[in-house]
Amino acid sequence: MKRILFLSLLCSPLFAADPVEADFYKITTYATPKETALEVGSIDLMPDGKLALGTRRGEIWVVSGAGSSDTSNVSYKLFASGLHEVLGIAYNPKDKNLYATTRYEITRLIDTDHDGRADVFENVNDSWGVSGDYHEYAIGSRFDKAGDLWVTLCLTGSFSSAVPFRGWALRIKPDGTMVPTCSGIRSPGGIGFDADGEVYYCDNQGPWHGACTLQHLVPGTFQGHPGGNVWYDLAPNMGPRPIDPIPEAFQGDKGRKDKREGGDPDRMVTERERIKQLLPPAVYLVHGKIGNSASAIICDLSAGKFGPFSKQLFVADQSHSNLSRVYLETVNGIKQGVVIPFRSGFASGIIGGRMDEEGRVFVGGSDRGWGARGGKPFCFEKCEWTGKTPFEVHEMHAKPDGFEVTFTQPVDTAAAGDVKSYSMREFTYAYREQYGGDEVSEILPKITAATVAADGKSVRLTISPLTKGHIHELHLDGVRSAEKLPLLHKVGYYTLNEIPAK
Amino acid sequence: MSEVNKTQGIDAAFSQGNLRWFRLNALPMTRLLFAILLAAASARGAEPAVFSLKTMTAQMKYDTAEMLVQPGQPVKITFENGDDLPHNLVFCLPGTDTAAMAMKQMEKPEDALKRNWLPDDPRIWAHSKMLNPHEKEVLSFSAPEKAGSYPYVCTFPGHALTMRGVLKVAPVGDTLHDLQFALYLGNWQQLPDFSKLKPHREGKIDDNLLQVKLDDYKNEFGVVFTGKLIAPKKGSYRFYLSSDDGSRILIDGKEILAYDGIHPSGDIKEAGLTLEKGEHVFRLEYFQGGGQIELYAAWKGADTQITPLSTWLHPKWQGGTKKQKEFDPIPLVVKDEAVIYRNFIQGAGNRGIGVGYPGGVNIAWSAESMNLALIWRGAFMDASRHWNSRGGGHEKPLGYDVLMPTGEVTPAFLVTDKPEAEWPKWDKAKRYEGFHWLGYSLDAKRSPTFRYAWQGAEIEESFAVEGNGNKPDGNSKLIRTIKVAGKVPANAWYRIGSGSFESKDGSFFSKGPIPFRITVSDAQLAGQNLVIPAKRGTMTITYQWAQ
Repeated sequence: MKRILFLSLLCSPLFAADPVEADFYKITTYATPKETALEVGSIDLMPDGKLALGTRRGEIWVVSGAGSSDTSNVSYKLFASGLHEVLGIAYNPKDKNLYATTRYEITRLIDTDHDGRADVFENVNDSWGVSGDYHEYAIGSRFDKAGDLWVTLCLTGSFSSAVPFRGWALRIKPDGTMVPTCSGIRSPGGIGFDADGEVYYCDNQGPWHGACTLQHLVPGTFQGHPGGNVWYDLAPNMGPRPIDPIPEAFQGDKGRKDKREGGDPDRMVTERERIKQLLPPAVYLVHGKIGNSASAIICDLSAGKFGPFSKQLFVADQSHSNLSRVYLETVNGIKQGVVIPFRSGFASGIIGGRMDEEGRVFVGGSDRGWGARGGKPFCFEKCEWTGKTPFEVHEMHAKPDGFEVTFTQPVDTAAAGDVKSYSMREFTYAYREQYGGDEVSEILPKITAATVAADGKSVRLTISPLTKGHIHELHLDGVRSAEKLPLLHKVGYYTLNEIPAK
Repeated sequence: MSEVNKTQGIDAAFSQGNLRWFRLNALPMTRLLFAILLAAASARGAEPAVFSLKTMTAQMKYDTAEMLVQPGQPVKITFENGDDLPHNLVFCLPGTDTAAMAMKQMEKPEDALKRNWLPDDPRIWAHSKMLNPHEKEVLSFSAPEKAGSYPYVCTFPGHALTMRGVLKVAPVGDTLHDLQFALYLGNWQQLPDFSKLKPHREGKIDDNLLQVKLDDYKNEFGVVFTGKLIAPKKGSYRFYLSSDDGSRILIDGKEILAYDGIHPSGDIKEAGLTLEKGEHVFRLEYFQGGGQIELYAAWKGADTQITPLSTWLHPKWQGGTKKQKEFDPIPLVVKDEAVIYRNFIQGAGNRGIGVGYPGGVNIAWSAESMNLALIWRGAFMDASRHWNSRGGGHEKPLGYDVLMPTGEVTPAFLVTDKPEAEWPKWDKAKRYEGFHWLGYSLDAKRSPTFRYAWQGAEIEESFAVEGNGNKPDGNSKLIRTIKVAGKVPANAWYRIGSGSFESKDGSFFSKGPIPFRITVSDAQLAGQNLVIPAKRGTMTITYQWAQ
């Protein structure tokens, strides 16, 4: 025994503890009410540090004390039950009521006698169809800056739209009227806002989606899956129906010589030229690496209380039970950016998530129907910054001839200035009707220069070639901080929808 | 199973271990469609058929609706009473009207009580004791030699209508004869025309069961099986097929069943046809693209059980019983407040709102049709279908004596000159023009008042329960109050019931399968419709199960 102890003491400096995620971001698991399975589907903030949790079992729980560092201060009150899946919950500071997005309706819940239980359930809007298919989930947002609620509607199954507006994003105005806003949605997993209040949703791998995606909901756009486009005549505000994308595309068989109308149909890039309403995903959440089942979108508006990633987005994954980090920029009017792994190890499949002003990220979910790595059937958890700054890629910016990568801490100039510290791989997914798909059209570009900025906080990479529409997978294995530490996460996946002119 | 140890290739994909894995992981999304004896070997060897049968809590049901055995087979049933009422398990001869038999006891209740509610009836051939709540008894007997459907029932007063099931006695059918296979290699998206291809390998299958363990190919191959099928007599036969990926069955050169393309084996395809007595040419074509390899086929004659023609059994073909539920029930318990359950409820459209009231009476309201869809008594709803897995499908009421006063629910209001004509029918994709769902509010006991608008009218309706729906004394009632305000169009009617009614003593008696009566002022029978001229004001409608 003694000898082993001695040996381990001797060895420990050599294996100097490479930093791990938990050093920087701590996960706390809450005990949940015994009388239910708290399968969290949506979370919003309420006054006085309270939270509203909507669940897959149709309950709404109001949680007090979740911000406390002592988990025994947490208490739950059942505000409403019997709703048909609450996959969107929104607190309205104007009328002080909760609004729930359920399977077939947005409901305003009013507690008229102030006993902590809702007693009036008003239909705010129910103008979309439900055919009875299990897949027809409705995922709702919080209130946007205009006071609207957004709802993204899953298709009937994976391919088609049996009843109105399956496969659409709708906006519900404060007076309850509905505005069809985007088409092309397949299977949304979450909806959220960036720091400017722009609206995004996550779609899931399937037909027309080689991987899960983070997509920008620009009103009037077509988001890629044509299954729901049969409802354009019910949406005159959206203009004419887009032409359909070409369903068939090659999968890796580059030897095929036959020319197809519209050019090479595998690429989002060529279809974008034909279909003017088509907006490409802002970021591909690379399948199997970032996740398999994208869900909540959480923006860091805590002004530093959640660490160095102010205004960035955090995207949850149900299957991988993790959070990934997204930095977005606008190039030629289109959103694009990089996704980097952030924190894994949540207890169940994450579905709902929300950050409070103090930089606490509350998440919850379940593994029901789709397995999750976490292993627990459901969970409600908190993720907080420990105050230690990880050495991470901070931002990644597209440049005409490469990328600029910034870091959370100064780099070791020698290591970061060496092109051999990096490697890059470019690939895309076939944009096609078939379910899912492989990483195709791989290109291995040359990294010709790596120039470290004078402040040591960024590096400019020159890369040849850059490929429009491809995901640029950057590995930074050799980069070290000034303290000689490796990056906490050594890979980023940048979706290059547009190459900037300067 | 010597193949079990092979961990690669086709053999392993079908080893018992793998099959079990598939069972555990298969998402049990659809109702069980089939009952089949688990292992062909045990069925044919007439080993004992072992079942466990339980009564479900507050639902007036056994958990098993069907048990399947062979003639003369030893049967062992562990009967457990999981309910809070006494129950027994009584087996009768085919054709017995078990409800009438149980009811007849009430003519001499003192005698019946002495017999512990076991009817003195020669048609009873096996039975348990009357089990008190949470008691258990093991029954052992030999199945009747004569094939047929033998009903089983609980004969405690009032239980027989819903607490019943069937012991099916049927022999196992024949398997294939002279079964041959031809293995082809190729990458297909659909079944190819095998007649134009050259087999890679051919041979005989000794045990005459369809199987995919012909070579070490995991992907991109096809197999054509040919053999003889002997119909024991002229009659109709049914064939069952499922596979991953595509397959089809041909009898005497004609395709009778196809499940082509690349897909998992989730569905079971079936088809019936008439066969002459004697020998028929059987051909099954199968191909595998990639991934999982599965092939299941079976057939059934008028007098035989579903009999597997393949080595492997589809996960939906359960061992000998047809269970009521795939998941452990999650009954929603109604205590001293009303309980609301908005979900897919069978018979209440796609925007159903279930309400369980204290007192054992429940309703389902449709926020699509803006109308009362269902009334039932006993337990409220089982949420297990929706709270397990992905939550697909429409769930039935958990209790019993389910009434659908106007059939598949459609709006109650209609402007018409002919209220006696047929009213619009339910359409699952349809929203009803002119109707706007407004929502509901809850009173102190959490009972909802539903609100909606129609044309210029605003309608509120609420419900109250009298008596105890859990008691079969006929005294429980549902009282529905409808308040109509605003402007009601001319020639508008409000429909309360549809079907066959008899007007008697100021009430309307439904002659449907579950007798009930409706009491309401100003109502009239118009053909198959029980209607009121729609106007502003308050209507009170009372629904009561008739005795």
